Amino acid sequence: MTEAVLVDGGRTLRAAPAAPAIKAPRNWDWLGLVPFLAFLALFLVVPAFAVFSKAFVDEQGNFGLEAFQDAFSGQNLDAFKFSVRLSALSAATGVVVGGFLAYAAASIRRPKWLRSLVTAFSGVAANLGGVPLAFAFIALLGRQGLATRILSELGYDLYGNGFQLDTTTGFVSVYSYFNIPLMVLITLPAIDGLKVAWREACANLGGTTFTYWRRIGLPVLLPSLLGGFLLLFANSFSAYATARAMTDQSLIVPLRIQFYLSGDFAGQDQLGFSLAAWMIIIMSVSMGLYWVLRKRAERWQS
Amino acid sequence: MAVVDPTGLSSVVEVPQGGAGPASAGGVRPARGLGRLVPIVVLIACGLFFILPLLAMARFALQNVPMIRLGWSTLFDRWSFSGITKAFDEAEFRTSLSLSLKLALGTVILTQALLLPTTLWVHLRLPKARAFVEFLTVLPYVIPPIALVAGILPIKPHARWFLNSDYSLIPFYTVLALPFTFRAIDAGVRALDVRTLVDASRSLGAGWGTTLRRVMIPNLRTAIISSSFLTAAVVLGEFTVARVLLKETLPLFMFEYQQREPQGGIGLGLLAIVATTAIFAILSLVTRKRGMSRPATTVL
Repeated sequence: MTEAVLVDGGRTLRAAPAAPAIKAPRNWDWLGLVPFLAFLALFLVVPAFAVFSKAFVDEQGNFGLEAFQDAFSGQNLDAFKFSVRLSALSAATGVVVGGFLAYAAASIRRPKWLRSLVTAFSGVAANLGGVPLAFAFIALLGRQGLATRILSELGYDLYGNGFQLDTTTGFVSVYSYFNIPLMVLITLPAIDGLKVAWREACANLGGTTFTYWRRIGLPVLLPSLLGGFLLLFANSFSAYATARAMTDQSLIVPLRIQFYLSGDFAGQDQLGFSLAAWMIIIMSVSMGLYWVLRKRAERWQS
Repeated sequence: MAVVDPTGLSSVVEVPQGGAGPASAGGVRPARGLGRLVPIVVLIACGLFFILPLLAMARFALQNVPMIRLGWSTLFDRWSFSGITKAFDEAEFRTSLSLSLKLALGTVILTQALLLPTTLWVHLRLPKARAFVEFLTVLPYVIPPIALVAGILPIKPHARWFLNSDYSLIPFYTVLALPFTFRAIDAGVRALDVRTLVDASRSLGAGWGTTLRRVMIPNLRTAIISSSFLTAAVVLGEFTVARVLLKETLPLFMFEYQQREPQGGIGLGLLAIVATTAIFAILSLVTRKRGMSRPATTVL
């Protein structure tokens, strides 16, 4: 009898022992999955397949890689560069600030409700986003924004110093609103996984706090931090609604996809599909790596 | 021992200060001196960052004082809900709200109809397939809404009868919510001893339908409620697919209305954030009361 070990967000559970195989010479149980699989095939796999087939086949029905390459040149390349840079920066900001926030929440003992507040709020804020979030930042950092006004009272002209909501800085500030809390949610279990004994062992061997973090703390947290980076990267890279409400220009890849799809450009819509195909590829790579790192991170979180 | 026990049950052992003595409780220790300030500063800075946008939004939506004239003397002048009530009076507001609510209801029903039997089946008969099913439910995260909707467009000429209907969004929203909903339901099912319950029910003579209706569903109440709330939150906030397929849902109306009436639009945004927060607050209350390990609010 085999025992499956199921892993869930840092929690390792032992599944109920598998049932003794029932007599049947042939196992038809998988048929129970057919409705679910058929549903996914129809509403997820078919559209994904359509993206790739449109990206590789031109109007005349010939197979070709031109559009797939065109998606990586000129203005589209600029959009990719901008998207990647801003996603990487938002992810880095999220990892650093979120990591520190998680650590702060874990290390402050009084008042006790503080940690629950941080986790509860993170659960909500990680799921905010889209149009309403963009509105909040327009009200804060727009030309008529509250912070813009407060800063000008303090003698700092935000817009005079080149700030715009649709620049990297603007996007990073807005995306941080959901990235930081997401990072808190995924790092807290990892920080909780740091054991007292390790710190004691380090101290007994003459290690300082610095040694502890350099040799034990950070290496143990590293998979979580790297995984968090990838997740936040993917999160920022695919954000469409928030960006749409912040800018009219098609600066980033998701906005550019929509720009081509809206169909004002005869014969150009293939580019939209190529961009979407690239996006799926980039998302698959970062999420795949995230998956691997998460498995590694869970080693210390039993 | 957990470093910082979320339940607060772990006792903190006090260690005399000074010397190179190891820290008291956990890999995360209470910092001393300057180090004690760092977490406090981080918390305050983050608190400001998260509260300020909401305050700014509330002021913009509820106060009729232009930003240039805002000052200490006018801080409490002319606050009102007029911007929001004006938005409520729009005919499109009501149609888009009703469409979004219907879509949410439809998506909740479809999600439950699809996921409950599947998850139970996987736990009862195909435990080996669980990892595979979980992998499938994470796929919508890899194919983000903008890419999904790009893939819907080429299908459109072949399925106009379906895609022309506003309700054709329901299956796609079910897909988009899958990473959340599957995990919520799966966590609920896993917390139960499904096999024993089913065996007991079946040996008392209940058929599969009765077992599902009178044994499984009541036992999975928490999971069903929380996954339904998550579904509703996803549907009520979804913008991308609706925009590209030109369906007038609430977020779309909000977006367009804000360009005409900035104050009212931002007011609607504020309400949306309040509603989302309420949904998640209820969600965490429901899950906490029933002793589930943690609310399934995160995707992965």
